[in-house]
Amino acid sequence: MASAYLTHQQKVLRLYKKSLRHLESWCIFRDKYRFYACLLRARFDENKTEKDMVKATMMLKAGEEEFWTNQHPQPYIFPDSPGGTSYERYECYKVPEWVLDHWHPSEKAMYPDYFSKREQWKKLRNQSWEKEVAQLEAETPAVGPKSEALPPARKEGDLPPLWWQFVTRPRERPT
Amino acid sequence: MHLTSTMMTTSLILIFLLLMSPILSSFSPTPLPLNWALTQVKTAVKWAFFTSILPLCLFLNEGTETIITSWTWMNTHTFDINISLKFDIYSIIFTPVALYVTWSILEFASWYMHADPNMNRFFKYLLIFLIAMIILVTANNMFQLFIGWEGVGIMSFLLIGWWYGRADANTAALQAVVYNRVGDIGLIFAMAWIATSLNSWEMQQMFTLSKDFDLTYPLIGLIIAATGKSAQFGLHPWLPSAMEGPTPVSALLHSSTMVVAGIFLLIRMSPMLENNQTALTICLCLGALTTLFTATCALTQNDIKKIVAFSTSSQLGLMMVTIGLNQPQLAFLHICTHAFFKAMLFLCSGSIIHSLNDEQDIRKMGGMHHLTPFTSSCLTIGSLALTGTPFLAGFFSKDAIIEALNTSYLNAWALFLTLLATSFTAIYSLRVVFFVSMGHPRFNPLSPINENNSTVINPIKRLAWGSIIAGLLITSNITPLKTPVMSMPFLLKVAALMVTIIGLLTALELASLTNKQYKPMPNLSPHHFSNMLGFFPMVIHRLIPKLNLILGQTIASQTVDQTWLEKMGPKATATLNLPLITTTNNIQQGMIKTYLSLFFFTFGLALLLLLY
Repeated sequence: MASAYLTHQQKVLRLYKKSLRHLESWCIFRDKYRFYACLLRARFDENKTEKDMVKATMMLKAGEEEFWTNQHPQPYIFPDSPGGTSYERYECYKVPEWVLDHWHPSEKAMYPDYFSKREQWKKLRNQSWEKEVAQLEAETPAVGPKSEALPPARKEGDLPPLWWQFVTRPRERPT
Repeated sequence: MHLTSTMMTTSLILIFLLLMSPILSSFSPTPLPLNWALTQVKTAVKWAFFTSILPLCLFLNEGTETIITSWTWMNTHTFDINISLKFDIYSIIFTPVALYVTWSILEFASWYMHADPNMNRFFKYLLIFLIAMIILVTANNMFQLFIGWEGVGIMSFLLIGWWYGRADANTAALQAVVYNRVGDIGLIFAMAWIATSLNSWEMQQMFTLSKDFDLTYPLIGLIIAATGKSAQFGLHPWLPSAMEGPTPVSALLHSSTMVVAGIFLLIRMSPMLENNQTALTICLCLGALTTLFTATCALTQNDIKKIVAFSTSSQLGLMMVTIGLNQPQLAFLHICTHAFFKAMLFLCSGSIIHSLNDEQDIRKMGGMHHLTPFTSSCLTIGSLALTGTPFLAGFFSKDAIIEALNTSYLNAWALFLTLLATSFTAIYSLRVVFFVSMGHPRFNPLSPINENNSTVINPIKRLAWGSIIAGLLITSNITPLKTPVMSMPFLLKVAALMVTIIGLLTALELASLTNKQYKPMPNLSPHHFSNMLGFFPMVIHRLIPKLNLILGQTIASQTVDQTWLEKMGPKATATLNLPLITTTNNIQQGMIKTYLSLFFFTFGLALLLLLY
C-alpha cells in the first residue's frame, strides 16, 4: 500500500532516473550519452548489494549532492510535460459541454440529430443523478475519500457515478 | 497638385483600404468562409505589397519625398494634431519590405495554424498589427506614431497570449506589456517635453525649432522608449519570453517589424539626435552592451526559438550601435535586410518544429538535412546572411556598420564588445545548424516528415530570395546620406569577416569536441551564466516586486503609526531628552575624579579663552 514516505529503493531509483535525464541533457549525442550512462549504471550497480542501511543512506545523500552540483540548468523537458513548450497549450480549446446549451437556436438547427440525442442523454442524466449521489454517499468513508478513483456501478441497470463528467470530458488534444 | 504626391497618397490610401477590407468583411453577421484567412487576408496583403511598389518606384525614379497632411483632427489655437503621412526614404522602403515579409508569413501561417479553430481570429490580429505598424512608420507627428506604437504593443500582447490556457504564455504576454510600458514612460515624457517646449508634434516643426534647445532630456526619454520596445539591455527579458506565442507571431512581430519600432523611432528622430553627443554615446554603449550580452545568452540556449530570439536582440543592439555612430541610414538598411533573413530563420524553425510534433529543443533534433533538405538549406542561408557572409543581404549592412565603427573616433570598448558579439553570432549560428541539420536524428521517427506542401515552401523560397538579393538591391538604388569612409587599413576592412571566421572555426572545434568522449559536462560557471541569461530575469523579476512590497508594507504598518507616535510625538520627546538627562545625572554622582577632571577641563578652557 502506498504511503507518504518513500522507501530507500524508490529514492535510489528516482535519483538514478533524474541523473540519467540530466546526463541526457548534457551529452547531446547518443553514443556519448550511452557511454556515460553505462558508467553511471556501473556506479549504481557497484553498491547495490550494500546491506548496511546507514551507509546506504549516506551514499544516497552523497549522490543527491553530486546530482545537485552537476545538474543541467535547462534539462530537457518533453513538450507535453509540465514545464514543456506545448504543455497546457490546448487548454483554451477545452470548452465545457454546458456551453452547448447556450448555442443560438439557429446554430443548434445545424446539428438536429446531435441535439435531439443530447436531450435524451440529459434526461437520462437527470434520472440517474440521485442514484449516483446515493451510491457515492454510501461508499465514501466518513473522513473523506481515500483516493480520486470513482467506484463502478454496483446495481443492475445503474450507471457509474459521475459518468456524465467522464463521457463529456474534452479530448486530450482538441486540435 | 503634383502628380507624384497624388499618386503616393493614393497608393497609401489604397494600401490601407486593402488591409482594412478583410477586417471590415469580418464584421458581417454571416460566418466567415472556411478559407477566409487564406483567400482574403493573404491576397489583400499580397496586393498591398504590389501597390506599395508604386511609391517605391516613384521614389527611386524621381527621388521625391512627400508629406501629406490629410485631415486636421484636433486643433486648438496653439496646438495642432493632424493626420499627416510622411513618405520619406524610410517609410517608402520599409512598407514594401514589411508587406513582403507579412505576405510570406501569412501564407506560412495558413499551414502552421490550419488545425486551430480560431485561425480567422489569428489572421485578423496579424492584420490589425500590420496596420498599426504601417501607421507607425508613415506617421509625420508624434501622436500618430504613438497610436501605432501602442497598437503594435497591444497586438503583441494578444498574439503572445494566443494559447491563453498556458500559464507561461500569459506570463510572457504580461511581461511584454509591462516592459513596453516602462519604455512608454520615456516616450510620453519626450512627447510632453516636445509639446511644451517646441509647441508641436509635427516632425518638421520639431526638427526646425529644436536647434536652439538642449535636447538631452527628451532624447534620453526616446532612448528609454527604444530600450523598452527594441529589447535593449535592462528591458530585454520580454523578447525571449515572447517566444511563447506561435511561430508566425515570433516571425512577424518579434523579429522583423515590431521590435524594430524603437530603432525606427530613433532613426526618425535622428535630426534631433545627431548634435547631442551624450545621447549618441548612450546609444553606442547601450547597444554594444546589449549586443554582447544577448549574444552570450544565445550561446548555450537549447530551444531553437530562444536562440533566434536572442539573435534578434543582438542584432537590435547592433542597430542601436549604428545609431550611436550617427548613421541612421545604415541602421535602417540593417532593419530591412534583417527582416528578411530573421523571418526566414523563424519560418524554417517553425517548419522543423511542426514536422517534429512540437519539439523545440535542438538536443532532440538532428539530421534534418536528409529529411527536409530545402528547409535546412534555407536555415543555412539565413544563418550565413545573419553572420554577414560576403554578398548576401546581411553583408551590406553589417559589414558597413563594422567598418563605420572601426573608422570612427569613438569608444574602443564599444568596438571591442561589438566585434566579440559578431564572433558569437557566428558561433551560435553554427551551433543551430550543427545540431538541427547535421548528424543523425535524435528523435523518434513517429510521423513521416516531408516538404511537399507549397504553402510552406513558397514563403521560405521568397524570403530566401530576399535574404540573398535584398542587400544588393537596396544599396545599389539608394544614395547614402553620409559618405562612407573609403580608405582604411586592410585589417580594419576585413575585421568583421576575420572575426566571423574566427568564431566559425572556434564553433567547429567546439562542436567536434562535443562529439568526443572527453567529459560529460563543461566548466560550469560561464555556462551557467550564459544559460541562465546572466541571471538577469531571476534577479530583477524578484527584486523589484520585493522592494515594492516591502515599501508597501512599511508604509501600511509602520509609517503612519510609528512616525506620529515614536518619531514625531510623545516618544520622540523622551528619546530626545533621555541622553541629556543621563549625561547630566552621570556627572553629578559624587565622584571626586569627575569633579576634578571637570575642574581642570573648565580651567583649561578659561585659560585658552583668556590667552586668545
